[in-house]
Amino acid sequence: MEVKKELEKIPGHEIANHRIDAWWWLVAAVIGLVALLSVLMPDPYFRIIRFVSDGILVTVGVTLTAFIVTLLLGLVIALGRLSKNGFIRWITTIYVEVARGIPLLVQLLFWYFAFPSLIQSLGRLINFQAFIRYHANPFVMAILGLTFCYGAYMSEIYRAGIQSIPKGQNEAARSLGMTHGQAMRYIILPQAVKVILPPVGNEFISLLKDSSLVSVVAVADMTRRGREFMAANFIPVETWMMIALLYLVMTLIAARVVAWIEKKTQTEER
Amino acid sequence: MNLTPIIQIRNLHKHFGQTAALNGVDLDVNPGEVVLIIGPSGSGKSTLLRCINRLENFELGSVIVDEIPLTTAENINAIRTEVGMVFQSFNLFPHLTVLQNVTLAQKVVRKRTKYEANAIAYALLEKVGIPEKAQDYPGQLSGGQQQRVAIARALAMNPKIMLFDEPTSALDPEMIQEVLDVMLQLAKEGMTMVVVSHEMGFARAAADRAVLMDEGLIVEQATPEVLFSHPTQERTKRFLSKIL
Repeated sequence: MEVKKELEKIPGHEIANHRIDAWWWLVAAVIGLVALLSVLMPDPYFRIIRFVSDGILVTVGVTLTAFIVTLLLGLVIALGRLSKNGFIRWITTIYVEVARGIPLLVQLLFWYFAFPSLIQSLGRLINFQAFIRYHANPFVMAILGLTFCYGAYMSEIYRAGIQSIPKGQNEAARSLGMTHGQAMRYIILPQAVKVILPPVGNEFISLLKDSSLVSVVAVADMTRRGREFMAANFIPVETWMMIALLYLVMTLIAARVVAWIEKKTQTEER
Repeated sequence: MNLTPIIQIRNLHKHFGQTAALNGVDLDVNPGEVVLIIGPSGSGKSTLLRCINRLENFELGSVIVDEIPLTTAENINAIRTEVGMVFQSFNLFPHLTVLQNVTLAQKVVRKRTKYEANAIAYALLEKVGIPEKAQDYPGQLSGGQQQRVAIARALAMNPKIMLFDEPTSALDPEMIQEVLDVMLQLAKEGMTMVVVSHEMGFARAAADRAVLMDEGLIVEQATPEVLFSHPTQERTKRFLSKIL
């Protein structure tokens, strides 16, 4: 509370607060526009929303699942790239270069169409029935594709965050007898998390948008459901405007949540 | 009395790429002894200190601490729990309170309970004179206070040896004495200490031996009075004329 009072003495604090409110007004305006269109012209606008509503859930589900797995994978890869073991460093570096060097769409097509064929061929080669009968689950392959690609970017963010912590922090921890793992867990990572929060938030928003690519590998997300609605009704302007607005609502809310978390962790720092 | 040295350093060599930092250093430190290392910057004094708890690797030679040779990873961690270190830049953990700074390693390394660790921490904060800061974060403390917390943090592990790497160099002049007072008290209590510092007052009051290093070698060593007043080596005289 005292901090708040101190802040109020700083000239221009109202402008800063005002700007944060303004962003929420934008979110409200977009949601309001969606609501207004749905109420004033339920046909076609509310019909579109009803039609793609299951796709909205799929988009949110795919994004959240892929994001959580990406957070874990990114950490493992980052620790691998900072490892003392040359082989682990080599393998993880190759992975990052490969995953970042191939377009996400191509990766998704590979995992859904090519990877199962490879597994089946391998199954025939070693005569292993489970492999021969292997069929790709679109949802699983979509998550795999998104995670494989985004894990590489996320690992670079973690790595930069870990490397931004002064070397003396690790030395102090190690001089107290902590192991490498203990120093990471109790000293380095808690400090790195604050540094990487903004870029990680941006990754989440990118992932939310890029999740629309999974529509090409038989996942009935919002984009795919939009295409299906289009194919049945031939009203491209209304359909894609509504789909665009729905994505915008999600990304704007996500951006506000990220900014809120950022602000919260920054005021906690003393 | 036949004392086994608690630190035995033999023929220690260390290179940073092409530059040699240590060129064959031999040094023994007896239990309870306070050794002050002085020398120009780049003479290898900090490197020597950091080799004692293996924050730096070395290429050649041997370091034996408390009869444990520094060889395998287990040995290094065993030694690090016996050797406390205080850094020039304090290196307190900024995301933890003063109390947490002093208790964390006790809990995760020494496996003490929260109750034990807190009791030890409060006793040590009392000893270094800042018990009222226990719940503050390092960023809210002055440099002198931070360095005293860093000393308490190292002492909490019950080390047999304390290493000080220029503990007062980053401090404002008026804060130096409060840190030196804590170090003087430690010396009086019989702690084995190796101190890299140019604090002549501390050297005269507490050090049993002063060691002058230059270009990765020990040039001369004697009691502080003898070394400062009657140096035998030309190099020592030149260095002392600059700092005294």
